[in-house]
Parts: sequence; C-alpha cells; structure tokens
Amino acid sequence: MGGLRTSAMFGWTGKTLRIDLSREKIWVEATPPYLMHEYIGGRGMGDRIVFDEVDASIDPLGPENKLIFATGPLTGSGAPAASRFIVSAKSPLSQCVSSPCCGGYFGANLKYSGYDLLIFEGRAPAPVYVTILNDRVEIHPAGHLWGKEASPTEHAIRQEMKKDYNLDLWALNSMGIADIGPAGENLVRFASIMSDGGRAAGRSGLGAVMGSKNLKALAALGTGQVRIADPEGFCKAVMDFYKEGRDSGEFYKRRRFGTWGLPGRANASKSQATNNFRAGYSEAFVKYEDPEVTRALIRVRDEACFSCPFSCGKRSRIKDPDYPLTAKGPEHETMALLGANCGLGDMEDICRANYLCNELGMDTITAGTMISCAMELFEEGHLPEKDLGFPLGFGNTNMFKLLKMIAHRQGIGDLMAEGGIAFGSRYGHPELFMGIKGMGIPAWHPQAFDALGLQYATCVTGGSHTKATMPFYEGRKDPAFFVEFTKKDQDYIAMADSGVLCWIIYHGPLWAEKLSEWLHYVTGNDQTKEELDRLGERVWNLERLYNMKSGLSMKDDNLPPRITTEPRVKNRVVPLDKLLVEYYQWRGWDERGVPTREKLKELGLEKEGAGVI
Amino acid sequence: MRIRIDHKICTGCKQCEIACSLAHTGSVNPWRARIRVFVGEEFCLPVIAGPYTEAACNSKGTRVFDGVDVDACVVCRASCPVKSVYKEPDTGIPLKCDFCGDPPNPQCVQWCAPQALSLIEDEQEPRKEKAG
Repeated sequence: MGGLRTSAMFGWTGKTLRIDLSREKIWVEATPPYLMHEYIGGRGMGDRIVFDEVDASIDPLGPENKLIFATGPLTGSGAPAASRFIVSAKSPLSQCVSSPCCGGYFGANLKYSGYDLLIFEGRAPAPVYVTILNDRVEIHPAGHLWGKEASPTEHAIRQEMKKDYNLDLWALNSMGIADIGPAGENLVRFASIMSDGGRAAGRSGLGAVMGSKNLKALAALGTGQVRIADPEGFCKAVMDFYKEGRDSGEFYKRRRFGTWGLPGRANASKSQATNNFRAGYSEAFVKYEDPEVTRALIRVRDEACFSCPFSCGKRSRIKDPDYPLTAKGPEHETMALLGANCGLGDMEDICRANYLCNELGMDTITAGTMISCAMELFEEGHLPEKDLGFPLGFGNTNMFKLLKMIAHRQGIGDLMAEGGIAFGSRYGHPELFMGIKGMGIPAWHPQAFDALGLQYATCVTGGSHTKATMPFYEGRKDPAFFVEFTKKDQDYIAMADSGVLCWIIYHGPLWAEKLSEWLHYVTGNDQTKEELDRLGERVWNLERLYNMKSGLSMKDDNLPPRITTEPRVKNRVVPLDKLLVEYYQWRGWDERGVPTREKLKELGLEKEGAGVI
Repeated sequence: MRIRIDHKICTGCKQCEIACSLAHTGSVNPWRARIRVFVGEEFCLPVIAGPYTEAACNSKGTRVFDGVDVDACVVCRASCPVKSVYKEPDTGIPLKCDFCGDPPNPQCVQWCAPQALSLIEDEQEPRKEKAG
C-alpha cells in the first residue's frame, strides 16, 4: 500500500470525537493512521473499533457497548453518492457486530464539523441529546423529548437550537439530526436510528443501543471543509461520471422511480415476499408493477441524500387526514415486508404502516416479518385472539395497532419487542419467524434464486439485503459461479461501505474502480483495486471473528425451514448445506466456517484470530 | 445570460454548493458557496447569491411557492447582516455569484444532475417577477 500522507490531511479530518455519557466527558483524539490506512473509514473503521474496544461477551444493551458514527474519506467531498454514514455497535438483535448505513445530511455535517468518527460510550444517567457545531460539542438534557416520535423530536431540537445558539433559518435547514423514536427508548430489539425526517440506519436494532445509552438524539452542523488533494482531477472525474450517468439514462431512471420499479421485477421473477414467505408472487401488487402508478399516487418530490445525483429517495403523501405530513418512502423493501408480506395490497395502507414505523423508529423489514409471523400464528390458531386483543389475519389493518404496541411494549408487544425467535417460541413455532440470526429476511424470496439464500444465510449481521446485491445485475446469474460471486460481492460491499459509497448505485467491480479513482483524487493516496478487494475481505473476516467471539457459529448460517424444506416458489428449495460447503471453501474457511490460519495470515489478521480460531 | 432555476426538479443533493465551493476556493465547504439550497418538505429552493446589502430589512414577509408560504429571507438573494449564508465563514466577507468567469461557465449548472439549474439567454424566457 502506498504511504499515507498524514502531514497534510486530505479526505479524512484526522480527528475522532469521543463522548463518555456516564461521566459527561467529551474529548478529541487523533484518528489512528492505521485505521485510515487499512480500513479507510465507515464500516471498516467502525467495526475495527468495536472489535478492539467492545468485549464480545457483553450485553449489547449495557453501558459497555459503544455506538460509533463513522464517516469515510469521501463523505462530504462531493464524490457522487458517497456521503452516507455508518453506525457500528454490537447488535442487540443478532448479537453480531453490525454496521447499518444511513443517508441524509448528518454524515456530511459530522465531517464538516471536523470528525471522521464519533464514538459514544457509557450510559447517561438521564435522557440527553448531543449537539455538535464544529468544535462546540455539548450535552443537553432531553427529558422533555423522551417519548416523542421521530419528526416531533427533530422539530423540537431545531427550535431549541434556534434559541440556544441563535441559529438562523438557513443554518437550521442545513444541519443533520439522528434520533430515536419510542421504540428505541423502550429497547425494542429491532429499533432503528432515524435521521432527517425518515431516513434510517435501520437494521439490527442499533436504535435500542442508542436508547440504552439514554441518548435521544444528536444534531450536527459543520461549517468546516473537506480538503481535496487534486481538485482539478477530481472535478474532471466527477464530470465524466455525470456525463456517463446522463447519457446512459441511469440518472433519469433512478430519479424517476427510485426503488418503485422493483415490485414489478419481484413479481416477474416470482421473488416477491408474500404472506410470510408462503408465496413469491403477490396478486395485490400487480397494480403496482408499473412504477408510474405508484409515482402518480403518492409522490411529492424526489429526495436525494447529500451529494447524490441519483436521488432514489421519494417524499410521499397520502390523502388520509390523520397522516397530514409528507413522509420518506416507502421504499421497495418496506412495500414488500409491511405490504405484500403482511397481505396489505393498498398503497395508502402501506404508507400508513411505513409512516408509523418511521415515527416510532422501528426497522420496517424486521417489523414486517414480526407482524407476518403473528398473522400466520393467528391464522393457524397458535396465537389466541385474547392475547392480541383483536383479530389479526393477513391483510388486517389491526397491524397498525400492533406496531404501536410493540414500540411502546404494551400487551403482547412487550414480548414481540424481544424479537421473532422469542415471540415464535412462546407460541411453539419459532420456525414461522422468517429471520436469520434474529433479523427479518428482506423482500426478495430466497427460493427464487439460490444465490440469494446463500447470501442471506452467510451475512455477517443477519438477514440483510445490504451486505451483497446479487443476483440483481447482469453476468451474475450463471449458477456455476454464484457461490464465488456471493463471496466477492460481500467483500465488494464491505469495501464500499468503508468508503462510504452507496451500495444501491454501484455494482460489483465498479465499486473498487470508483472507490480507487475517487480516493486517489480526494485523499492523494493510491490504493489499487487489489488492495481494496483485500480490504473488503479483511473487514468481512474481522466481523466473522467478532461474531465467533460473541458465540455464533456455523449453525447460525442458516435459513428458516420454510426456505430449505417447503417448496413455495418455482417448486424448489434452497440446498443450503451443499452451498455452504462450497462457500466456505471460496472464503478459505474450514468446513465449520472458521477462518483458517492461512487466510487470516494473508489478510494480516493473525493477531486478531488468536484465541478465536 | 442567467441561471434558470426550476425548483420543482431540485432534489436537494446540494452538489451545486460543492461545485461552487470547489471552483472558488479549491476546497469543499458548502458554507463558502455562492449558491445554497433550502430543503423543504414539498420542494427545495436553490438560491444564488446576489448583491451585498449593508442593512437588514425592517419588514419581514413571506412569498408563496406552489401554495406553500416561504420566509422571504430564504428566497432573498442578498448577503446581509442577519443571514448566515453568502459570507465567508471565517472572515465574514460577503460573497456573490460571478457566473464562474467570462464567458459564463457556472459550475453549479454543470454539477446539477437533475438539471434544475440551466444557463439560458435572457430573452429565452420572459423574466418573471422575482421574489425577494
């Protein structure tokens, strides 16, 4: 790897902000050069710090867990679709190290405030929120915000900052806020961290970690800069990328439809999660196969994350006077899990469910699989109506009540807040919860593509759609190669998440190419594609080691029995056992899924592996 | 020549701010940009810095965009004593748009992916009554 220029810092700020909430202590450290060198930023840095500083045996909801907000060298630099931030911690849902990614303006503002990383430790004695205005970092009491939903919390914080800091309209408009709703406060194990009016670091329950720290929200407003090593070269590279995006129509397509084009593709490939994964095709979604229909129905405006020319986000509004505001989404995952998978076929209902989850601060995917699990338990007669207080068959809008009960831990919601395995077990059927490592399976039915089943089962944080993208692009559908591609794709995303590049835009080798190119112009450091590939693999193996320390093993690389034994889609099941053997070989792991000494040596992780393998 | 703004198309990605800051300062800092995007729920409003004014307005008003009331300060292009934008953050020196030189080649227009900003001849479209 090329030498790192630390004397004049480009891309990175070189500073890490640490906040000990127990002692109300705030201090700034230099970001260790080896982190920039070997892990770049984002997920790589965040997970490395979790590995080094958070004992794998701790309770994720205890004060020993740390909550890390990580930006990358490209965050705020203007590199297209590269201004997201990562939140890392040990997950209370899957017990894995997890690193959900979130868009919006918060990441860029954290960077402009002058920090690569923001690390929370300990637990505040009473609810607090934190404000970061460049080097002015303060902890404020948040007792009056506790219990508020996500949007009112953001609104209240803006009002207080206007008063306390004498900020004008423009400054308030520019800042980024990350917060939790009631679900995070009540330690719902699949609570998400919400940001900027409906964006989420959603999967794996880090909202509960934030809640366990009594940290209601944080707001960042930065007026500093990101230094670019070669501004002229960078401008030219970005302009070339823009020309490509315009000429190919990719900008237009993404902006026009976002993820709304996917229900059509899911139905066409019989991979639309429907009625708790009992089917791969939704009759009710046929009317939304044309994205123009959805667009005409609910769209208010196209909404981009900071620095993103694609703007796949959509603000939407429904006609129901009870939901007067505009809201973010719903994205395809939400439409599928809270919609088709719960038997809802009306866009207004789906928007209501999405709006509820966003305001309560819950992961729409795991919440969707929880509800669909409850619906199937109810229909099969395992879950008595008296426990729920109302009937709950597929498509029943009583699910809105249930979502609120989960977030507030009322009635049966208290049990459901503990996750699908605890809930299913209580009623004798844990196998009806469609989850992996406790996390709900995303929208695409794994039986439609073997590759998808393998990808979900082996994902380091649980059933996640954001840790590999197969089989959604050309050249990756050949079954002879998909195990190899699964491994490569997971490494590519680990690397892209460390950049931080948006995983929805770039595909496969393009990540390495773009990251390498932009890192060159922004940071002045040359990293070859091979080095970046190795970095992705290193991150993935490090996460695997942490999970093993945390007690996970090969038996957790599984799929619900419905996927491996009941042919629901295309009359086939996922032959997971066979695929795992091949996958472990590609990974250079032994037959029990343990990284071998040789592999760790190759990745420079020998020390980390000691005592684990 | 002028820069035409179509707020209905703007997505709020703020690449124009970055383009402006890069072109004028060589670093990336939206707070040094001469164009700023105001992000709203219904739409976003890119506003380009105009002339400096020494005095703050006595009266404050609102302007209506697509049926939504917008604070007049938001759409006012002036760098003025009561606003934090269109000033160098460190020195307070007021900023205004220079169309990136002569002949005009505004970088914000180049970097606007949805093409909410476009460079047009004055007579191409009748000038509407501008707010602020």
